Parts: sequence; structure tokens; C-alpha cells
Amino acid sequence: MNTPRAYLAAVVAAVIWSGPLSAQERAIAIRGGTVLPISGPAIPNGTVVMRGGKIVAVGANVQIPAGAEIVEAAGKYVMPGVIDAASHIGMEPTDLNEPTDPMTPQNRAFESYNPFGTFGSGQPAPLRNKEALSGGVTTMYISPADAQLLGGQGAVIKTAGATLDAVLLREPAAIDITLGTPPKTAARAQNRDPFTRMAESAMLRQILVRAQEYQRNKANTPTTPRDLGMEALGRLLRREIPARIQANNATDIRAALRLAQEFTFDLIIDGAAGAWEFKDELAARKIPVVLGQVSHQYVSNEEIPDKQDYPKQDERLAGRLTQAGIPTAMATFSRAFGTLAPAGTGKWLLIDAGIAAGYGMTDDQVLRAVTQVPAQILGVADRVGSLEVGKDADVIILDGPPLSVKTWVQRVYVNGELVHTK
Amino acid sequence: MTRALLRLAATLTAVGAITAAPNAARAQTDDVILVRGATIHTASGAPIRNGSVLIRAGKIAAVGPNVAAPSNARIIDGTGKVVTPGMIDNHSHIGARPTDLNDTPMLIGPQHRFIDALDWNDPDFQDAVEGGVTTIVTGPGSGENVSGMAAVLKTFGTDYTRRMLLEKGGMKFAMGPKGARTRYPSTSMGVAANLRQYLIKTQEYLAAQKKWEDDGKKGNPPARDLGYEAMSDVLTRKTYVRAHVHNATDVMTLTRLKDEFGFDLTIHHSTDAYKVAPELAKRGISAVVLPLGPRIGIGEDAMAGPYQLWKAGVKVAMHTDAPVINQKWLRLCAALAMRYGIPEEEALKMVTLNAAEIARVSDRVGSIAVGKDADLVIFNGPWYEPKSRIDLVIGDGRVVYDRTNVKEAK
Repeated sequence: MNTPRAYLAAVVAAVIWSGPLSAQERAIAIRGGTVLPISGPAIPNGTVVMRGGKIVAVGANVQIPAGAEIVEAAGKYVMPGVIDAASHIGMEPTDLNEPTDPMTPQNRAFESYNPFGTFGSGQPAPLRNKEALSGGVTTMYISPADAQLLGGQGAVIKTAGATLDAVLLREPAAIDITLGTPPKTAARAQNRDPFTRMAESAMLRQILVRAQEYQRNKANTPTTPRDLGMEALGRLLRREIPARIQANNATDIRAALRLAQEFTFDLIIDGAAGAWEFKDELAARKIPVVLGQVSHQYVSNEEIPDKQDYPKQDERLAGRLTQAGIPTAMATFSRAFGTLAPAGTGKWLLIDAGIAAGYGMTDDQVLRAVTQVPAQILGVADRVGSLEVGKDADVIILDGPPLSVKTWVQRVYVNGELVHTK
Repeated sequence: MTRALLRLAATLTAVGAITAAPNAARAQTDDVILVRGATIHTASGAPIRNGSVLIRAGKIAAVGPNVAAPSNARIIDGTGKVVTPGMIDNHSHIGARPTDLNDTPMLIGPQHRFIDALDWNDPDFQDAVEGGVTTIVTGPGSGENVSGMAAVLKTFGTDYTRRMLLEKGGMKFAMGPKGARTRYPSTSMGVAANLRQYLIKTQEYLAAQKKWEDDGKKGNPPARDLGYEAMSDVLTRKTYVRAHVHNATDVMTLTRLKDEFGFDLTIHHSTDAYKVAPELAKRGISAVVLPLGPRIGIGEDAMAGPYQLWKAGVKVAMHTDAPVINQKWLRLCAALAMRYGIPEEEALKMVTLNAAEIARVSDRVGSIAVGKDADLVIFNGPWYEPKSRIDLVIGDGRVVYDRTNVKEAK
């Protein structure tokens, strides 16, 4: 649009189109609240300005642009949207796993994503994941569930947006793998492999060897037929994306660490209930962990998880791992819509994480473990996880301290758009 | 109890302590404990600021703002602390293996007793104690329409006789078709009809027994059937029905059965019960509610269900369904109810006094009142806040959990 005539046409069109300006065009200034930028200390009586879906100013003395929508937040808390680093909320239970095949690297989790759930299928756009938004969760990692050894590719998504494509933040974000009882249980029910932990490691090793050979063959012979699963694993082997391996007890964590070393891929350990035993190795190799809920460390989608998979419940784990210098995120691992809910969904994440503040973490550390740290682990820290100029305008307003059970998330902005109010 | 009476009680107990003082052996024990200077939530009245609780021989001997310290008392400084009654989880399944909870093919098995599957040393009891939960109802699962008799237990101690509060702790019903639809009944209609038929047979069983007695017990008594015998306790109201139920249709089925057979009814999980709250209030049916569930995505209306029930005048208790939710977090189940509008003291009752009354053990536990078991929890902050910690748990007048004794790496 580089001619005066086109410019004129655009102006005329804008005038004729009399709908309200979207949040992206008009600046929004949230002022007077306690601002918790996460990347720095709390700012009492602070202001956050958003425009064009981005944060354009944060501070105590901020010039509010003329014409900005003012949101008064006196007595309230303002912080970045919460990040749930592991969730299935917004996926149908029957869309979580392929029941007949233990390894499907070609599957992409977001193609099972339906944030309306069984309770509102068929609703029109825009996409709103109310279950997550009501807890202030604006970004989450979704993945296949744990009934397969290698379920496929996970995605980092926003919990609100116009379309499925619009909510994708990073896809694929990781190769999703599970070790331990869940894949065995599913396999045994069908009398197929893997029956044992030995088989789990052997099968993963074999498919990764096959992926190495595929990359080699493809490089040598470009006419080699494409294989979507092998392509996905190629990204893992080239370290474009990490592996998320669900491993809770020592045996499974050790197996995950060995596989990552053997095939030199980047590793994130999910669940990680037994991680303390490996603190030195995790710290040295800079391997992050994504822990389940403090009140409910079972991260499995099985109704009654095998107790042998889990060391005894330990509320101190997040604090101890953080202190040891291991990037540690606290997530919900919440299950799919309609499945049994022994623990909470995203709307419970802040409350649950608050427990850790009684077990050796400061409030600041707890808040980082559900914002900035998961953003880094998920590879999206340039976009989300803190209130900083240039980052996405994912901002929540709470009516009290974020870790109190009495506190409610009152407003949620995603990309500068108000997508949830209480 | 008025303050004057409390003061009198305190004085009397103090006098008692003085007369007992020469007994050296007694002074050596933890028999007399005074917790003082704390905010005390008794679950049966307004909180007492800067209050004290006197414990003697495992029982509450005094509670109030001014309780004199007997000379032989161990003093626990409660300054800045919050004291609540030992909490009570009205509905859980701990103490038995998961494979011992449901005899699914049985379908109606009132003769089952949870105590026959109970492992008193299950490590889950330790989680309960650490979470300030000193009394629980634990029982069979929901894989049958009637799965057997629950038990009411203390969570601590090695004297199993003392730990058992109530062996007939309520008959577990479960509404709704369960599992594969491969046999009768697989519909709500079928479940209702099947239960009704069994209850009628129990009436006939009772009538045959009565006839034999009325006839002067001539000849052999009628053949005993342990199932009908156990269900007879329900019909004669020696025990009551604990019904697993989620949707409102099944709640109404239960109210009809109650109206028809006259048993005492409590409903459990109670997800959609708020939709028929007046029907429950009218009949005096209590509701035990599992927060956060049972299914992902139940929505805010159901999350606010306990508030709606409470507002309608239904007695409500919150439960964990442990091991579904770790029993340690019972207090947060009540906190969630509070979050949706229930006042703090009422929310606390939902895991103390209400839970005790529904479980029929409120003569022993559930509130901090003179004469009740000395089960107390001492918090370092508000009992409902996630980051508050439990410093001390006292059970039957003895310290059963002390955080300072637990080794915690920094």
C-alpha cells in the first residue's frame, strides 16, 4: 500500500468500518496495582501499558499514552500470565494416545486440541480455554498422554486466540516420551510390547537408531521416501527440539539420562518425583525438570498410578531442586476433559504452587516456577513469562496476593486482548 | 459454654492438678499439656484470640481465654499460632490395597466389612497425621451398588482397639452404572430397581426374624444371611447409608428410597447435589463433597456447589477420597469451599465438627470442647492458606507429629 490513493482507500475503509478498535490497536494501561514483573522486584503502585499485543511500558512512573484505556488496579496485583508447563486440558480423553502403537513420533498433540471440551464441542471461534484462563494460565505445553512410550510431538500454545493456528506459540516444541509403568500397563492390556522397562529402553533406542539412519540416508539419497515420524525424531537428534521424558522413580530417571547421553539430545524430565537423588548430574548437565502438583505428585493419566513409580510425596522437592540450581517448573499435568480429576487443572496451579512457599521457597521463587522458568524450559522466554517491554501482552490482574487461596484472578489479557473476567 | 463456666472449669482442673501433683510418675508423663497464647478455632464457636487449651489424660480439660497452668503441665507456647481441632476426613479409602476395595462381581455386598481388609500400618496414615487429619472414615470403593461397611478410625497410634472409633461406620452405596455394560444393571433405572428389591428382601428378612421371635422362638431360627443382616442395621437405623452419587437424578433416586424405607442417608462426592439442595435440606440429608472433581471441566457452578448446599441449610463436609487427593491436603479441600463464599469458621467445620457429626463420632471428636478427645492441630499461620505449615499435631493428648523433629534439608 504505497500510493496515496491506496492510503486514502484505507482511511475511507477504516472510517466506514465502524466497529470498535481492538485491544491490539488501542493502548491499555493497568495502573495503581502492585506489579510483579517476575524479571525484577515488585513495583508498588505500578503501571503496565500494552499496545499492539505487546507490553510497551512497565514501571512506577510511566507516561500513559493519550487515548489509552485505563484499568484501575489499586489494591490489586498485576503479573504475567501463568505458564502451565504440562497439561492435557483442552484435549479429548480419546484423543490422547494411540492405543495400538507404542511409538508414534509423527503425531502432533495440537491436532487433538479442542479447548471447548466435551462440554461445548461445536462452539464457534474464538478459542478460549476457560479451565486454564480462570486460573490465570495464558500459556501451556500440551502433549500426548502417557499410555504410549513415545506419544508424539508436544506444542506450546496460548490459552486464548482466534484460531488454532493463532494459539500456537511453538510447534513442535518437544518429543514426548514416557518411561515406567503407564506404557507397560497399556501394552500388557493388549499383549504387545513393551512389557518391561528393558523393552521400553530397547524400543526407544531402536527407533532413535532408525532415525539416525534415516537422516543419513536422506542426506545421501534425497529421493528417500519421506517418513514423518523419522523427520520429527531428526529434529530431536539435531537438537532443534528437546525430548520431554516422563520419569519418576530412580530407574526411569537414570534411563532417561542415559538415552539423552547416548543420542546427544536435549532432555527435560517430566514428573521427576525422584529427581533429588540426581541433583548433581541434573545441575551439571543443566537438565530442567517439570514437576507435578505439589499436593499431588502423581503425574500419570492412569487412574491409580503404580506406587512403585513414585517416591513418597515430598513437598520440598521444588525448593530443593531450585536451590540446587536446577531449572524447576511446577505444572499441573492436568488430565483431559471429562477424565477423573484427582488433582486440579490450571485454575488450581497458583494455589497448589503456594504450598511450596511453606517448604523452603520464597514467594518470588514460587512465582518464577510458574512463569519465567517454564517459559525458559519451553523455549518461549523471548515471548512470555515476565512483564518486560517487547514481550507478549499476557497479563493477569488478581484481587489479592497470588499465592493465597482467597485470591481470584479477575482479568486475563492474552496478546493485549481481554479474554477472561471473573 | 460461657466464659464464666470455662473459667470455672479451668479453675477446677487446676485444683485437680495441684492435688495430683505429688504423684511423681504422672508429672513425668505428657499427660498434662497446656497450649497457650494461640488463636483457637474450636469449630463450635467464635475463635478465641490469645486462648489456651488444657489437655489431661488424653481429653480436653479446659479451653478459653484464661486457663491457669497446672504445675505439672508441659507448656506449649502458641504465640502467633493457630489451633484447630484434629481434622476429620469423612470419606477416604486408605488403609487397604486398591485391589481390596471393590468386589465388583458381587454387585450388592453389604456383608463386606472394610476392617477385614484394613492394614493399620499403611504408610498413608502417616500422610494423614502430617496433614493434621486425626480421624477418618475409610471404607470400600464404589465398584458395587452396595460395597460394605466403612470404619471410623484414628490415624495415629499402635493400639488398634483405641484407634477404632466405630466399626459400623456406615453402609456404602454407589449410584450409577459402573464399569462395562456387560450385565444387569447398567442403567440408573436398573440400579434403582435392584437396590429397591434388595431393601424389600431385607424387610422380609427382618419380618421373618420377628415372626420367629413373636412365635416364642419355636424350632430353628430362620437361616441367617450376612448380607440381609448387615442391611438390617441400615433399616433399623443402627447405621446409615453413605451413598456415592454425582448427578442430581441419582440423588433424587436416593431421596425416594430414603422416603420409602426410612433409612438415614448421607450423600458423598455430591457433585451435582447443589441442583437439588432444598430437597436435601428438607429431609436433613447431609452432603459430603469432593472438591476439584470428579471430572475435569465440571465448571465453576459445581465448584461452588458446597456454598449452594450450605446456603440452603444442608450440613456439608469436604473430603479427599484419599488416595485420590492425598489426605494431607484435606484442609485445602475446605479452603476451596471457603474460596467460593463459605465463611472461615463454617469451612473449618466442614473438615471437623460437621464431618464428625455425619460420621456419628461427634461425642468424641470434631471440636475443641471439654470432655472430647484431645486431638489438636497447631499451625504457623491461617489453617486455610497453602503456605501455612503444621507445627504440631496432638492426638489423644500426645504429640503425634512435631515438625521440628522431622529432618528437612534446607
